[in-house]
Amino acid sequence: MTLLVVVGGVTALLLAGGFFSFLFWGLREMTIRSGLGHIQIYNAEYFQRDETRVLANGLENYRDLAAVAARTPHVLGTAPRIEFYGMISNGMKSGTFMATAVDPVAEKRMGFEPRILRGRKLSEGQTPGNEALLGSGLAHSMGAEPGTGLTVLAITADGALNGIDIDVVGIMTTGFKEMDDRALQLTLPAAQHLLQSGRVTKLIVGLDATENTDSAYAALASRLGGHGRIALKKWVELATYYRQVRLMFTGMLVFLGIIVFFMVVMSSANTLMMAMFERTREVGTMLAMGTPRAWVLLLFLLEGVLTGALGAAAGVLAGSGLGVLLNHAHLRMPPPPGNLNGFDFQVRFVPELMILAALLVVVTLGVASLAPAIRASRLRIVEALAHV
Amino acid sequence: MDDLVQLEQVSRRYPMDHSFVAALEDVSFRIRRGEFLAVAGPSGSGKSTLLNLIGCIDQPTSGRIFVEGTDTSRLSAAELARLRRNKIGFVFQTFNLIPVFTAFENVEYPLLLQRLPDRDRRRKVGEALASVGLAGRAGHRPDLLSGGERQRVAVARAIVHRPALVLADEPTANLDTRNATQLIDLMHELNRNLGLTFLFSTHDQRLLERAERVIPLCDGRVEAAAVSR
Repeated sequence: MTLLVVVGGVTALLLAGGFFSFLFWGLREMTIRSGLGHIQIYNAEYFQRDETRVLANGLENYRDLAAVAARTPHVLGTAPRIEFYGMISNGMKSGTFMATAVDPVAEKRMGFEPRILRGRKLSEGQTPGNEALLGSGLAHSMGAEPGTGLTVLAITADGALNGIDIDVVGIMTTGFKEMDDRALQLTLPAAQHLLQSGRVTKLIVGLDATENTDSAYAALASRLGGHGRIALKKWVELATYYRQVRLMFTGMLVFLGIIVFFMVVMSSANTLMMAMFERTREVGTMLAMGTPRAWVLLLFLLEGVLTGALGAAAGVLAGSGLGVLLNHAHLRMPPPPGNLNGFDFQVRFVPELMILAALLVVVTLGVASLAPAIRASRLRIVEALAHV
Repeated sequence: MDDLVQLEQVSRRYPMDHSFVAALEDVSFRIRRGEFLAVAGPSGSGKSTLLNLIGCIDQPTSGRIFVEGTDTSRLSAAELARLRRNKIGFVFQTFNLIPVFTAFENVEYPLLLQRLPDRDRRRKVGEALASVGLAGRAGHRPDLLSGGERQRVAVARAIVHRPALVLADEPTANLDTRNATQLIDLMHELNRNLGLTFLFSTHDQRLLERAERVIPLCDGRVEAAAVSR
């Protein structure tokens, strides 16, 4: 019975933890590959910037920086970006927008492709006009469809007001309604013309694997040291939503672990104590034959710990087996809050979690066997021998 | 024969409400090395209490017990455990074999306590099981042994480490006539061949007839001078 509880507890922890790990991994990669990139390079003064003069603290020499980054191990590519906001108008109605200006070729190379609902993406080569993508909510607000012409206004790097006409070539979605209500995507030249500056806000660096972020960061920091005052940010420093979600789910997993701990302790303590009572005469016989009381204590502790270890091993096997089955079942999860699409239920196999779960139950059984062990070691021999 | 055990004015009283019950009162006698002797008396006469005290699994309320000249009242719990480990073997009425151990492992247990090397242990266990006629049943757990066989395993366990004294509390009480007779013969043979000192408590007349000396107990007191044969 104790073994079953232990196996169940470990299995529950592994499945929950494995699912959370999948969620973290998915959210991490979605965050990175939806445009955040692995590392971002800024002008060091950017974080003390005047919000209204967007490119006043932009990157001047971003092409040089991109060339250095491209030669750094694990770097797949770079993409310059300008982020700014302003007003958009269809001649009859105005609204605000939050724009990202991109190099479509670099974005495509990095895998940052917008999700197009209608129309097409931004052209990769030069075009006569200023092509733009609108978020679905913004397009609805402006009554715009592919082919519509709109006007955008923004504050230039010098603090003046400037405007350009844009041609809507596509309607896109970010997956988040609140962002779709304001999102606008332009080409880099169009934004630089609008903002009257050759700078960019930042340079996004994409890596071959997220696990290489720390080593690539260190290499970039070393190589870019002589290229003016720049600041590097890892994706995790910029992904506030990811950090909050991860913290919340980690807290939930810890809470689950505490529940499992108490569940295993309470059920197994009772079972172990009952088992000790049933062995009272056996223990009395051992003590009568001269067994040191410390040996009796250690015997019961060791039995508890071994039960925990066996249960942990069986639980890891059961949890892993169930995980494989669930992964092949193609279960579908509903869309998370604020998102529009669901996703496949998946359980990841995390060796660290297996070790932690196994250690937890071994320690738990050790704790649970403490009381029976102490009681057994203190039995009065004559009374124990007379026990029925 | 020298004295193995010496009891001097030994009493054992148990508190009961505002008074006490005297299980033993002023018991004095000696056990000589190599004796095969019995403690006899009706139920409640104090036989088991006497064996518990001599076996150092209980302490007298007053008086002293000497085992091989050592005053057991001066020993700590750990020293008493060591004394039992090295000097005393127990045979219980209900066999008290460890159910998850085989016969071999049950007999081996006292030698494990003494931390004997593996080869020596195996040899001694083999000899002990052979001496009780159970060499062929060494790999069987107690639930696969008959009552008589279980008690013989218990005897083998009690003698495997060649203790100075073997204490048997009603060893034939749970055996049929045939097995009881076989057990008595076995213990007598071990006493004769190995020189082991046996003290047993019993109602069994067959066992009493084989004892060299009988110490009669009644209401916690030695009734008369022990009967020698």
